[in-house]
Amino acid sequence: MGTKNNNGLGWLFTSPYLVFAVVFFVVPLAWSLYLAFTNWDLISPDYQNVGVANFIKALGSPAVRAAFFVTFKFMVVFVPLVTVMSLVVAVLIQGLPRFKSFYMVGFFLPYLSSGVVASLIGKGFLSYSSPINVFLREQFGLKINWLGSPFSALMVVSVIIAWKFIGYYGLILTSGLESIGKEVYEAAAIDGVTETKRFWTITLPLLYPAIYTTLILSVGVTFGIFTEVYQLTGGGPNFATNTWQMEIFNQAFKNLQAGYASAVAIIASVVTFISIYIIRKLLEMWGKRNGWV
Amino acid sequence: MVGSNDRSKFRLTVRYIVATALLLVMVFPYLYMVLSSFAAWNQVDRKLIPTSYTLKSYIWLFTGGESGVPRPWLHAFFNSVFVSLASTLLMMVFGVMVSYALAKVKFRGRSFVNNVILFQMFFPAIILLVPNFLVIQKVGLYDTYWAMIIPKAVSLWAIFMYTNFFKAIPTAFIEAAKLDGATDLQILYKIMVPMSKSITTVIFLFLLMERWTELLWDMIVVRSDGMLTLNVLLSQMFGPYGAYPGPMYAASVLLTLPIVIIFLIYSKKFKEGMQFSLK
Repeated sequence: MGTKNNNGLGWLFTSPYLVFAVVFFVVPLAWSLYLAFTNWDLISPDYQNVGVANFIKALGSPAVRAAFFVTFKFMVVFVPLVTVMSLVVAVLIQGLPRFKSFYMVGFFLPYLSSGVVASLIGKGFLSYSSPINVFLREQFGLKINWLGSPFSALMVVSVIIAWKFIGYYGLILTSGLESIGKEVYEAAAIDGVTETKRFWTITLPLLYPAIYTTLILSVGVTFGIFTEVYQLTGGGPNFATNTWQMEIFNQAFKNLQAGYASAVAIIASVVTFISIYIIRKLLEMWGKRNGWV
Repeated sequence: MVGSNDRSKFRLTVRYIVATALLLVMVFPYLYMVLSSFAAWNQVDRKLIPTSYTLKSYIWLFTGGESGVPRPWLHAFFNSVFVSLASTLLMMVFGVMVSYALAKVKFRGRSFVNNVILFQMFFPAIILLVPNFLVIQKVGLYDTYWAMIIPKAVSLWAIFMYTNFFKAIPTAFIEAAKLDGATDLQILYKIMVPMSKSITTVIFLFLLMERWTELLWDMIVVRSDGMLTLNVLLSQMFGPYGAYPGPMYAASVLLTLPIVIIFLIYSKKFKEGMQFSLK
């Protein structure tokens, strides 16, 4: 009885997904592949086939080129920041004999925040007459236009996003740390291995699967940045924070260039897919070469 | 040995101090938000910890201040509640159904469905934004609640999580129930779901959090004032030229508080579930 096929039930129970996949995945995919070769403006009933013109225009556009580099800039700032900080959180709370769950819950709270709220708080905190800016001006004569200069805008957005994810990734790493047996450390302590050395030679290698997870997740985050940038900089100044999502949103829903936006989206998907694939492979190679996997 | 005991005690104290300090830094934005929402208006964003307090910001939110025309904050709040709950519940129900079939029902095409899901999971979703909007427009759902619910009624992640969990539940349970005459639907709701309480909490909370804080999609498929979610209204009201920082913080509290309360209520179950799902 257990080996009998039950085709009707199987298809019935999976049908919600299948219908969903056709309507919101297959059809849209085909539609955007078609639109990318047209000059449709989202409103007018007629439009022409323009061949690869959209792609040529996109590849020459400073905004698209910016989106390509901005994503990697975010990655270079955000990924190490969130990884190091979540490691610190994990190492700190893992060894606590009491109130551990209190700290775990506390550190996780930022993950509940809306990107809009986090951005608004960040903006208020860094506004011209805010305590921190007054302090910097009066004590050091520093006048920082946080969101007005390319470098600091990138940093501010990265910190705001990292704030959200540190506790969540910290939780993932904590459970990774807990899976490492105490015996390993005790054996190392008997052999007289110093604590710093223990971290590098025992903790880190055994934690590699958990770190791999958080790294992949955080890389994924950088390819989907939108809310914070939309709320704080609109992609500026001078495209310094213009992410893929921001660019597609602007082209499709502000400039109403649905055809062109579809072309940009296709380029973005290809870049995203290839980049994540390469990063995955590099991480796996790194793990293998060190004998961690 | 007393010396080394003292040393480890000292170490532990330091560890608690550092952990507490770091925790304070991490939750400070929330504290700042709450304090600023109650602060006298001439102190908002002027003082780290305000010294005089007022309810003016909250009153402004609901009366519209000097303009006398209140923005639909309460309405937006209920829009958010309705849309988030409806879409999260659908994601849970469909997640459980699809996963049961994938994990416990043998049928022709199972591996095909599995592969399609995996393919879609690894496919960059960025390409779908514009055409999904067009689908909604084409079928006449633009500017309706459905536009915010239906495209977010199925979660690949929920299916993925439940499938893995259900696979671990022994098939013997199901066969025994079948011998007793239980239907598959009964098995699903009387055995599978009750057995997966902790992971259900985790999936529910993550889906709800994500849905509650969605901006981009809710912003493009809905236009009229009465349809906006709280997150979208907040984003539109206090954009680049927002001049009312006090009410901005009050509205932020309105958006943040419910999800924090729900999380705290379920935090114990959430922790258990996380420990399971991360293993």
